[in-house]
Amino acid sequence: MKINAKSMALAIVATFVVGIGVSQIVGYWKMEGSKTPVAIKEGEFAGLPNPADIRGSYTWEDLGKAFKFDPAWAMTAFGVTDPASKLNTLETVYSKTLLPLGTEIGTGSVRYFVSLITGIPLEAEADNIFPITAIPVLREHSKADPALIDALEAKAFRPGQAAAPAAAPAPEAAGSSAPAATPKAEPAPVVAPAPTAPAASAPAAADVAHAPMVGAVTGKTSFKDLKDWGLDEAKIKSATDGKIGKDGDIVKDWASARGLTFSELKTKLQDLLAAAGK
Amino acid sequence: MAVVNKKLQAKNVRNLRHIIQAAFFVLVAVTVTMEKLGEAGIKIPILPSGSLHAICPFGGVVSFWNLLNLGTLVKKVHESSVVLGVIGLFLAILFGPVICGWICPFGSFQEFIAKIGKKLFGKKYNNFIPKKIDRVLRYLRYLVFAWVSYMTVVSGKLIFEAYDPYFALFKFWTGEVALTGFIALGAVVVLSLFVERPFCKYACPYGAFLGITNLFRVFGIRRNAPTCISCNACNKACLMNIDVASAKVVRDHQCISCLECTSEVACPVPATVEVMSFAGQAKDSYAEKKASGK
Repeated sequence: MKINAKSMALAIVATFVVGIGVSQIVGYWKMEGSKTPVAIKEGEFAGLPNPADIRGSYTWEDLGKAFKFDPAWAMTAFGVTDPASKLNTLETVYSKTLLPLGTEIGTGSVRYFVSLITGIPLEAEADNIFPITAIPVLREHSKADPALIDALEAKAFRPGQAAAPAAAPAPEAAGSSAPAATPKAEPAPVVAPAPTAPAASAPAAADVAHAPMVGAVTGKTSFKDLKDWGLDEAKIKSATDGKIGKDGDIVKDWASARGLTFSELKTKLQDLLAAAGK
Repeated sequence: MAVVNKKLQAKNVRNLRHIIQAAFFVLVAVTVTMEKLGEAGIKIPILPSGSLHAICPFGGVVSFWNLLNLGTLVKKVHESSVVLGVIGLFLAILFGPVICGWICPFGSFQEFIAKIGKKLFGKKYNNFIPKKIDRVLRYLRYLVFAWVSYMTVVSGKLIFEAYDPYFALFKFWTGEVALTGFIALGAVVVLSLFVERPFCKYACPYGAFLGITNLFRVFGIRRNAPTCISCNACNKACLMNIDVASAKVVRDHQCISCLECTSEVACPVPATVEVMSFAGQAKDSYAEKKASGK
């Protein structure tokens, strides 16, 4: 059997039309996510939606539906007015140029916010912070320990104050009280940044903004930072299955490139740092 | 008169392919643009809207493992990608990688840049790389495919996005493209001035996947040796530099089923380079053998 170009063209277009049409009829064709986070499979919270699975493509309405709380709380917290807007627009609203180096207000912050509101645990990223408008909402609606909220307030972004770390005057209090105060968000290394050195020496705000938070593994932490904080190669390798990146390599990027889950690696490194007294 | 008709027929077939390519290019561009405008609150009901990943069949391909083993899709991939992946595979089993030759907007983009290259370099265009080196380089895309597939499976993320020139082309204005994506796109644009479809030949993981179907596709490109006048018109026309003129059936893993080599377009002799089913080829082969008394 021979076919010519016209027949082939027809077959191609027809296959697309029929294939897409049939998948639509049977309800399989979806160009957007279901907006339903995956459920936690094990443990005390089994069956509940996992805040870690919140995607940037969710709208604020989706968020409220998925986690069964009033989306207005989250919108007030993040200064958003349109409930149909997507979470990933936060990264545009809170442009990185406005925020202190190494911090971010984006989907990660929303995940953490949801975790605090619902009490469902989440391993939050240390570089995700909240705008100051989130603090009263958390005080009113979350079940988190007030000491934890105090710590978050210390790190919160205040519009007009680009050098937010300078607005974190009580890092020691945050660092000491937070871990014990986060039963609902365990493990939450995000609240244990312990930036004691910069605060104690009170350098210029810009200097503080560029200094890595000692002992807190974040998405910006390099292998050199880990070594500077007291972890030798052998200890780092014990957390990374015997491999290690170059000094300048960012741990998160290095892990992603090798298919390692950064959150898991971060927990191991954080434990090693804690054992080393950092 | 016959020559005029032949030229007209060739032009019509080329136009047909180019129209389909242009239509899909516009469809993808509109879909992606509308998605971004939708985020800004601007919605036009008639026009399609969706993420680039939602309409990329390769997302469906790399999600198969997750789908089978975990029942979930890779992040950013949606069910539509799986449907398109299945459609692409079905078409490839029938006709070879027609997705590459007729649909892929990035292939179309490279062909567009190639027009400039052809004007600049004339007959030298697409013949810069020595054949020995070129032959080896053609297998690079399988390494890319293996790496992308493995990393996507272990990470559950679309690892290739950061390096994907196709993503960079359609999303360059959104701020979502990584520097590596821009570098890849720039490299493809420059290389396309010298080589036809360089990304398809050397790096495309989806092309690598679909290319395998050339080994067993139902409808293959066949050269009828008894009527062939060995003019090499088919070789000159081939975008992928395949040696059609010495093949009986084109089984090269790089064929993109563009049909540029066939008697409908480049080959000047009717019924000499054609698309035919395996059954037809076998019957034809039997008749040839019988005629030659073998």
